[in-house]
Amino acid sequence: MTTTTAPTAASADAADSGKQLSLIDCDVHNAFSSPDEIARYLPKYFRQRGLSLPGRAGFSSPLGVARADAVPDEGGKPGSSIAKMREQLIDAYNMDYVILTGGGILSCGVHAEADYGAAVARAYNEWFAEKWLDADPRMLGSLLVAPNNPAEAVKEIRRIGGHERLVQVIMTSATRTALGDRFYWPIYEAACEMGMPVAVHPGAESTGIANTFAPGFPASYFEWHSNLSQNYMGQVSSLISRGVFCEFPQLKFVCIEGGIGWAPHLMWRLDKNWKSLRATTPWLTRPPSEYLVEHIRFTTQPIEEPEKKDHLLQILDMVHAEKTVMFSSDYPHWDNDCPVHGLPKLPEPLKQRIMWQNAAELYNLKPR
Amino acid sequence: MPQTTQRHTVCRASELPPGERKIVEINGRSIGVFNVHGNYHALRNICPHQMAPLCQGKVTGTTLPSKPNEYQWDREGEIVRCPWHGWEFDILTGKSVFNPHKLRVKTYKVTIEQDDAQARSGACPASESGEDPSVETFPVSVEDGLVVLHV
Ligand code: FES
Repeated sequence: MTTTTAPTAASADAADSGKQLSLIDCDVHNAFSSPDEIARYLPKYFRQRGLSLPGRAGFSSPLGVARADAVPDEGGKPGSSIAKMREQLIDAYNMDYVILTGGGILSCGVHAEADYGAAVARAYNEWFAEKWLDADPRMLGSLLVAPNNPAEAVKEIRRIGGHERLVQVIMTSATRTALGDRFYWPIYEAACEMGMPVAVHPGAESTGIANTFAPGFPASYFEWHSNLSQNYMGQVSSLISRGVFCEFPQLKFVCIEGGIGWAPHLMWRLDKNWKSLRATTPWLTRPPSEYLVEHIRFTTQPIEEPEKKDHLLQILDMVHAEKTVMFSSDYPHWDNDCPVHGLPKLPEPLKQRIMWQNAAELYNLKPR
Repeated sequence: MPQTTQRHTVCRASELPPGERKIVEINGRSIGVFNVHGNYHALRNICPHQMAPLCQGKVTGTTLPSKPNEYQWDREGEIVRCPWHGWEFDILTGKSVFNPHKLRVKTYKVTIEQDDAQARSGACPASESGEDPSVETFPVSVEDGLVVLHV
């Protein structure tokens, strides 16, 4: 690794203030309890149909999607109660910040009717602004866009992207065509203009126009969930090889919930092939793995749990986790990782990078 | 070393009918007491995976090992699924379903015992308690006794 980025103002601040930050959670799901909560923000024409998102192929998780103990005391969907989220997550672990990533809504990005999908994203953002944006100084938001409608996504990013409590653009990791394609570049351009990273999150794979994984349709929730990483592998390969980070040198791209264990393989294979096939992608002036370390950020959950914990530490080393990996719990979903027991014991400097420093630098977060 | 246990009354047996569970705190330890088809069992309320409150999970059955494409649902009511990641544990033994020999949760003994006070009042209310003999009393059987946890 030869790339070094100059420390940003945020990282210098964070370093100066030392221990004041200690835990940032980069994937927390704020849910709505009824579809009408979102539908009432749709423009009139679309409002008549309510919220109608592409559905899954019929297989479902026997556990449900949410943790069984996360139902709010007053009822409703897990993740829909600000009080319960504080009690079970933010206060329980004394978190400095949580990055809210929405819930049950990303599949607007694979809606076949791209204008409706974009309208849903916008309605969600309006709802978010009303219910969550100022709910708690520790909660930060993600600006939702539908990637299959780049023109509307760009408008939405320009409309509210400047809000200081919205820290990233978020969209589904399932796509009709890979994310390196120039089709999506206007989204990256607008995000860079607003100084925001772009994050992707699973959920809409095998629904709507993003029909399946590369080998074919999964037959169970188990197979579906286990295949999610494969999608991320393809997206990262596409982003790097098609020159997204050459065109947008400031762009940071956050791979939420896609796993980490596959990344060393991809880095090495890209580098090996690049040595031979460099002429096909002349815009890549450095080994592809360097672009990955500089531009891609991974979140921890669901952290791989190898038989020997040391193996995970080795993988973290291989992916330069001190720069690339950020803690996430995925609260309140069934596959969440506990901030205290979810990760194996990490060496202290690496622990600090993963638990808060990398996120503080990426999202420009300072102690409050 | 022989372990000495203490008796802790959990509740009346009739308050914990089949299929129900009650989570109690004993000496700072959270323990789930389950009534599975009329028999009582107790498990430590901590999942060995990431320490979730295991006993808050769903009480359910599971699929028995089978050939591909066969599904044999059984053991209804005898399995608790961790509320977080869904690991299955046998309530009767505390053993995990996917690795019963290595991964388990601690179990405790539960007995049903006669409620002495009731037994006395049932047997001879006037002479032993000295209370008004007109007070209505009930015959006491062990089924209506106390659920006692040995920790
Ligand atoms: S904490 Fe129980 S299955 Fe993970």
